[in-house]
Amino acid sequence: MLAEVLIQLVVVVGILLPVSIALFVGRERLVRTRSEWRTRLKTAAPTIAVLLVVLLINRFARQRAPRLSREIGFHLTASFYNIEGEFILLFQSIATPETTAYFSSIYVYGYVFLIVFPVLAYFTLPDTRMFRRLLTAYALNYVIGLVLYIFVIAYGPRNVMPADVAATMLFENNPQYQYLTREVNSNTNVFPSLHTSLSATVATFAAITRSTFPKWFPVAVALAASVAISTMFLGIHWGIDVVAGMLLAALCVVLSDRLVGRWAVSELLGERLERFEDRIPWLERSE
Amino acid sequence: MNWNSSPPDDGVSRRSFLAAGVTGATLATSGCIDRVQSVVDQGGDEQFSLSITTVPADADRQNVRIARRLEASLEKVGIDVSLDMRSQSELLEAVLIEHDFDCYIGRHPADYDPDFLYEALHSTYANEAGWQNPFGFTNMAFDTHLEHQRRTDGDERKRHVEAVLTGLARAKPFDPICIPEEHRVAQANRFDGWDEGHLATRHGYLGLEPAAGVDRLHALVTDSRITRNLNPLSATFRNRGTTIDLLYDSLGTEHGGDVQPWLAESWDIAETTAESDSETADEETTRTATITLREGCHFHDGEPVTAADVAFTYKFLNDTSWGRAPVRSPAPRYRGRADVIEAVSVDGDYEVTITASGGREAVKRAFTVPVLPRHVWLELLDQYATGDDFTAPQGRWAVVSGNNIPPVGSGPFEFESRSEDESLVLKRFEDHFTLRDGVDLPEPTVDEVQFSVDPSSNSSITRIEDGGADVTATMLSPHSLPTIPDSSDLERLRSPSRTFYHLGFNVRNAPFSNPHVRRAVTQLIDKEGIVTDVFYGNATPVATPVSDEWVPERLQWSGDDPVTPFAGADGDLNVEAAKVAFERAGFRYDDNGRLLGGY
Repeated sequence: MLAEVLIQLVVVVGILLPVSIALFVGRERLVRTRSEWRTRLKTAAPTIAVLLVVLLINRFARQRAPRLSREIGFHLTASFYNIEGEFILLFQSIATPETTAYFSSIYVYGYVFLIVFPVLAYFTLPDTRMFRRLLTAYALNYVIGLVLYIFVIAYGPRNVMPADVAATMLFENNPQYQYLTREVNSNTNVFPSLHTSLSATVATFAAITRSTFPKWFPVAVALAASVAISTMFLGIHWGIDVVAGMLLAALCVVLSDRLVGRWAVSELLGERLERFEDRIPWLERSE
Repeated sequence: MNWNSSPPDDGVSRRSFLAAGVTGATLATSGCIDRVQSVVDQGGDEQFSLSITTVPADADRQNVRIARRLEASLEKVGIDVSLDMRSQSELLEAVLIEHDFDCYIGRHPADYDPDFLYEALHSTYANEAGWQNPFGFTNMAFDTHLEHQRRTDGDERKRHVEAVLTGLARAKPFDPICIPEEHRVAQANRFDGWDEGHLATRHGYLGLEPAAGVDRLHALVTDSRITRNLNPLSATFRNRGTTIDLLYDSLGTEHGGDVQPWLAESWDIAETTAESDSETADEETTRTATITLREGCHFHDGEPVTAADVAFTYKFLNDTSWGRAPVRSPAPRYRGRADVIEAVSVDGDYEVTITASGGREAVKRAFTVPVLPRHVWLELLDQYATGDDFTAPQGRWAVVSGNNIPPVGSGPFEFESRSEDESLVLKRFEDHFTLRDGVDLPEPTVDEVQFSVDPSSNSSITRIEDGGADVTATMLSPHSLPTIPDSSDLERLRSPSRTFYHLGFNVRNAPFSNPHVRRAVTQLIDKEGIVTDVFYGNATPVATPVSDEWVPERLQWSGDDPVTPFAGADGDLNVEAAKVAFERAGFRYDDNGRLLGGY
């Protein structure tokens, strides 16, 4: 079941990516990237490494975190529900089979596409700063998100008001997606909405780079807004989680600006790497 | 596989520490901050506030839906309610072990015999942790009837059970809401014989007739607890203990409401009236059971099963610290069943004589506890019960709660492997007595049983339909029943349930120490409406927690609860009438219609 869902996801995103690269990036940048990719990769290597480490930690921590969370976390379902009550049910007023299908596919496919595409797009820029900032912001989202998941134990609206969101609930209509989501998350990790924060991060970067990728900007904003709404429409997140996700996104974008290039890690390490490579002949051998 | 993980923390939790700091010594029992609030509020002119603890929809959708309906009604009558969501094991931890709750909505495992009410309600257990009296209910009249129903049989017993049920319906330490129908699906062409046993008992997995070439049963569960902890005595990780019944044998096995010899070859239960004063003669009636065990049975580790293991089991359930702690530490499960047994004497390898203070039915019920391997548990005791200052916090100490207990029994299936939150694999125990020639009892017919954790009822149904598994072991959620396709590849299994959904009160503290408040709250529950809207008709509303033949005439369901009818009509709460009930209970309302906490 998991394999089926994964294959579908890979196929859909696999089709969307080349199409959008053709649409938003353009041939010229691709050609240049072809000749410069090694130097760019080298400059960005430390950032890439940091992100990979974070993702790896995240992967393991998501399995361990629930236990730690039970020990030290705060149960906040009741507080969230007390504060916002049935707010997210507002979105049920636009529920039709079409909107349900739209938001379900946005939540699964749209989201993955939205966070993967800019990684490729920004890599085609000669200056790797934006690429590094994006990856740094992703890493920060995951790290801060994980810490909050440990401290906040909360169930999403679908677990509190199952019947009210049943018509649109993702897993109700497409139970197979649960095989995917349970791989990446537990049902007490709702605060903040990482779907929202990563999407909002992408949208903010799209705004920053709108002169470079003018056509991507409106698409990114529309997709990001759809993802944020989908999390509530599908009954997965509270409004509070979405707001927290947006704040987290803003924080991560600002921090990425402060952090990237600050210690010139890349240059420092870059030089060392070069020296290192000189001594290893097989690294020279490429293409 | 690693069974050596660390035992659960016995120390004071962070929350209990904070709670104690906030409210002082009166609330030193580990409390949660938001609940401490609710207790503090009862005093003065503050609004009456309480919290309802329940499980998320992922674990059981009906519970939270009942809780939200109750919440809405409580708010209508001016009560400030908070909905506290916990995972299944956390809910049981709060209710059974910590007694840290105001009220909760949950499903009670109940049992085949109303004797489970003894365990659920007897005063002796009010301060114990575990399934024994989680409500903290104490009542002399109840105790008397509970004890009499244990000691007697037949019509006399029925009268005492009726008295208990009648008292229960009035005093409401808990309020049974409905008994669900259990629905499951199986692939049609893999196994026959699903009707032979209930899938919540060992008999559901024994005696199945696999189709040619089928040697493995793949069952789906939506509750992952069996993949995390297989301690047979854990109160928080067990529900009905189905897996434990497969791993462990018991002297007798319950099938269709009757207990038949299982690990015991035979038994003889004789009445003995002790020599005592004539006035108290009938009180002193005891039974002596002479039990002959099957010879040549073994535990999964190869050690023989003998009378010493049986004697150990009953003594151990009575005190899991084995006399090494300053106070006794009875098991948090099986407590009520084992308690009927006064003494066990070993008369040879396969002969046991049990003296019990109960009637035939209570004694036979005591035979359904799992027989534990003495050598394994003594070793555990040596490992954990050490040191001069050793204590065994009742119901929660490592040996009765930890996941570090070797799952060694003598049952029809033995432990093979587990993968946390994913699966539990058992394999047939080739040495099991049911596989012998001349033993006419249902036997394990497959090499392997795998329980896989599936995310939900809906996905389980699809998975069975696609041939990804054989049967749903967990009962299906009523909302997913319409998604079962009409297909000849699928077999729908329907069985009656003994479990019941209920609202449980913590009667130790205000406000629910007051029976009038409990009654007023139960009158906010529209059981008929719940069955229609939440269970889509796949349940029966009830006023008593027992099955048909035990329900007294006057407690029969007649369109409404005969004792505490819903304060409204056609699903609409009559708010004024409901408020009057609270005023009669001694509470008053402020000008804004808020119910105030104090008298």
